[in-house]
Amino acid sequence: METHEHIVRSYEEELSALNNRIAKMGGLAEQVLGQSIDALEGRDPDLAGATIQQDEAIDELEKEIEEQAIVMIARRQPLAYDLRQIMAALRISTDLERIGDLGKNIAKRALAVVGEQQPKQLMLGLKHMGELALGQLKEVLDAYIERDADRALKVWYKDEDIDAMYNSLFRELLTYMMEDPRNIGLCTHLLFGAKNIERIGDHATNIAETVYFLVHGRAITDQRPKGDNTSSTPVALRSAG
Amino acid sequence: MAAAFANARYSRRRRGNLIATALSIGAALFGLTWLALILIVLVVKGVGGLSPSVFTEMTPPPGGAGGLLNPIVGSLILTVLAVLFGAPLGILAGTYMAEYGRYSKLTMVVRFINDILLSAPSIVVGLFVYEIMVARMGHFSAWAGAVSLAILVIPVVVRTTEDMLLLVPNTLREASAALGVPQWLVIRDVAYRAARAGITTGVLLAVARITGETAPLLFTALNNQFFSWNLNAPMASLPVVIFQFALSPYADWQQLAWTGALLITATVLGLSILARMLASKRVLT
Amino acid sequence: MSLAIHTDVKEQAPAAVEGLEAKVSVRHLNFYYGAYRALADNNVNLYKNKVTAFIGPSGCGKSTLLRILNRIYDLYPNQHADGEVLLDGENILRPGQDVNLLRAKVGMVFQKPTPFPMTIYENIAFGIRLYEQLPKAELDTRVEDALRRGALWDEVKDKLDASGLSLSGGQQQRLCIARTVAIRPEVILLDEPCSALDPISTAKIEELIDVQKRDYTIAIVTHNMQQAARTSDYTAFMYLGELVEFDNTTQIFTNPRLERTQDYITGRFG
Repeated sequence: METHEHIVRSYEEELSALNNRIAKMGGLAEQVLGQSIDALEGRDPDLAGATIQQDEAIDELEKEIEEQAIVMIARRQPLAYDLRQIMAALRISTDLERIGDLGKNIAKRALAVVGEQQPKQLMLGLKHMGELALGQLKEVLDAYIERDADRALKVWYKDEDIDAMYNSLFRELLTYMMEDPRNIGLCTHLLFGAKNIERIGDHATNIAETVYFLVHGRAITDQRPKGDNTSSTPVALRSAG
Repeated sequence: MAAAFANARYSRRRRGNLIATALSIGAALFGLTWLALILIVLVVKGVGGLSPSVFTEMTPPPGGAGGLLNPIVGSLILTVLAVLFGAPLGILAGTYMAEYGRYSKLTMVVRFINDILLSAPSIVVGLFVYEIMVARMGHFSAWAGAVSLAILVIPVVVRTTEDMLLLVPNTLREASAALGVPQWLVIRDVAYRAARAGITTGVLLAVARITGETAPLLFTALNNQFFSWNLNAPMASLPVVIFQFALSPYADWQQLAWTGALLITATVLGLSILARMLASKRVLT
Repeated sequence: MSLAIHTDVKEQAPAAVEGLEAKVSVRHLNFYYGAYRALADNNVNLYKNKVTAFIGPSGCGKSTLLRILNRIYDLYPNQHADGEVLLDGENILRPGQDVNLLRAKVGMVFQKPTPFPMTIYENIAFGIRLYEQLPKAELDTRVEDALRRGALWDEVKDKLDASGLSLSGGQQQRLCIARTVAIRPEVILLDEPCSALDPISTAKIEELIDVQKRDYTIAIVTHNMQQAARTSDYTAFMYLGELVEFDNTTQIFTNPRLERTQDYITGRFG
């Protein structure tokens, strides 16, 4: 829903700057997530330092965006689409900041288990899930830049896949831990890592909802697909192989 | 609400409204009728004598044929001179009152005296000028006539100039002052330009006023049977000639008097219409 | 961002801002309409090439203060000021001050658009001719420059001979602004310039203020707080003839120091 430029040019520039900050923040979040998936493959041990720095940059951007949003609301009295743009920027920055933190956390955990004997199947599963989440993030950020509500809606529905993957990973990790108690340390890290990836997927879905609201001015009316039923997965302790 | 319309009070009000409307229309028609009658009589009686000779021949001796050339020319000369003397004085005085001295005591005094002069009996003015000019000079003259008419022009021009200048919104003056324009330029280029139509109207109205003045001329310019350009001598004028011819027993003189009256009336009518057209053309911000 | 409210403390003099030059400096200014004191001990700075807004409820003295800065109050009897108003360090209230020269340096645009009863071209040229003797070509250029600065050139370039009064309200006001900048002042005072205009004209004028502040120091009085928030760099809040708070605009509208300021801005009184 693009119209003419605002008569006061500096206002238009401020809105652009806000948009660019989100884009930059999104790019950094993608980087953090990408790097953490690489770390899972054990490819680069110097990753920890790099991701922490990027996460700091993400936190810095969130502060800037928040400040700019408040000042713009006070000074420009934005209405309609302009108001939604500013509110969207505020909400998306919060989600991106969380994604940054979660990604950093994944990288740290991946590095924590780098020396260990890593079960190929599990690691592959985790990596796959991570790539799915990264794909969602990229897609939803593109949807934001393009102001494309339909793309955002697709992301919103696709979260089910990540949740399904998480369900199966959860069961596998439980099984692995039950097979040999010496695996518990490793598997707990991996479990948290998987949970973080699933949370990243949820944040991407939040962003998708915000983008939809930005474009259409109302929330998605459908029921959010919640595929994660790990909270109700029964643990059968006495099933020995 | 519908009940109100059936009310006795309402019908009484409606009746009162109808009566008042009828009375005012009646009064207007009454006034208009007399005006129309005057015009009709003037036209009927005056048109008969209207011919080219009226504008080319001098006033005749009784019983002779002639025209109104000398009184027409005389009136023109007297009017032009009166406006030349009176209008600038009046405009400048009005300018002082509206611009430089707007809040001063002097302005209040001048305005008061001006209003008195506006309705001063013109015969008094005539006697005054007789005393200061005619008696001193020892003879009647067109100069004296012009001066006496000028004294009648000045109050009208002062009044309208001051009123028109006061109508110019102060915001316009402030806007030009804010550019650093000195006061006299603000007056000349902004205030005068804005009030131009009104001030011109004022001058035209003053002319219309003096066109018909007879009394002052009786004591100053007197009259002249012959055609004359001499400003130092008595000069003929339409009102005086009409006065003289109308009271006479001669038929052709009386006819010329009617024609003269028609001419004066036509002139005043024309000037008033012109003034009204000018006034409505320019609208002040 | 904390929203701490401080106790009611009136500031004696505004804090001078680091690194900024004060183009106009008002010191201990009092103003009287006859015996009635309209302004009490005002102290404020207008910083060079910045826009300073004056806000406050009706009758707080903001227009009165503005009208002192170019001594337009001199046109009326029974109004006088004491204190100091320094323009580039010189006190413009001193008796020897040439008022017309002052007004050439400090221009003013009023609430009601007042084009002169002349053509559009003449409206602009009138002021220029007052100070400079220019050949026609150069005068044409100056008129065009002024109309461009007033964001009006594109709309009137084909009808410079039309009467200034034939323009719409918003265009007339931009004509007045163009007329003011034509004589190259250093400071521009705007007294509620948009209160008689529709939102689009208002936005156009706000944009031109944004652009022109690079070349001029601008002060704007407005009873529309949102306009002050949009257009100004610094805001002064006045109440009953006193200057209550002065700060940069973002601070005033997001976290003012005084409760009275916050009450006014949020519409809790006044």
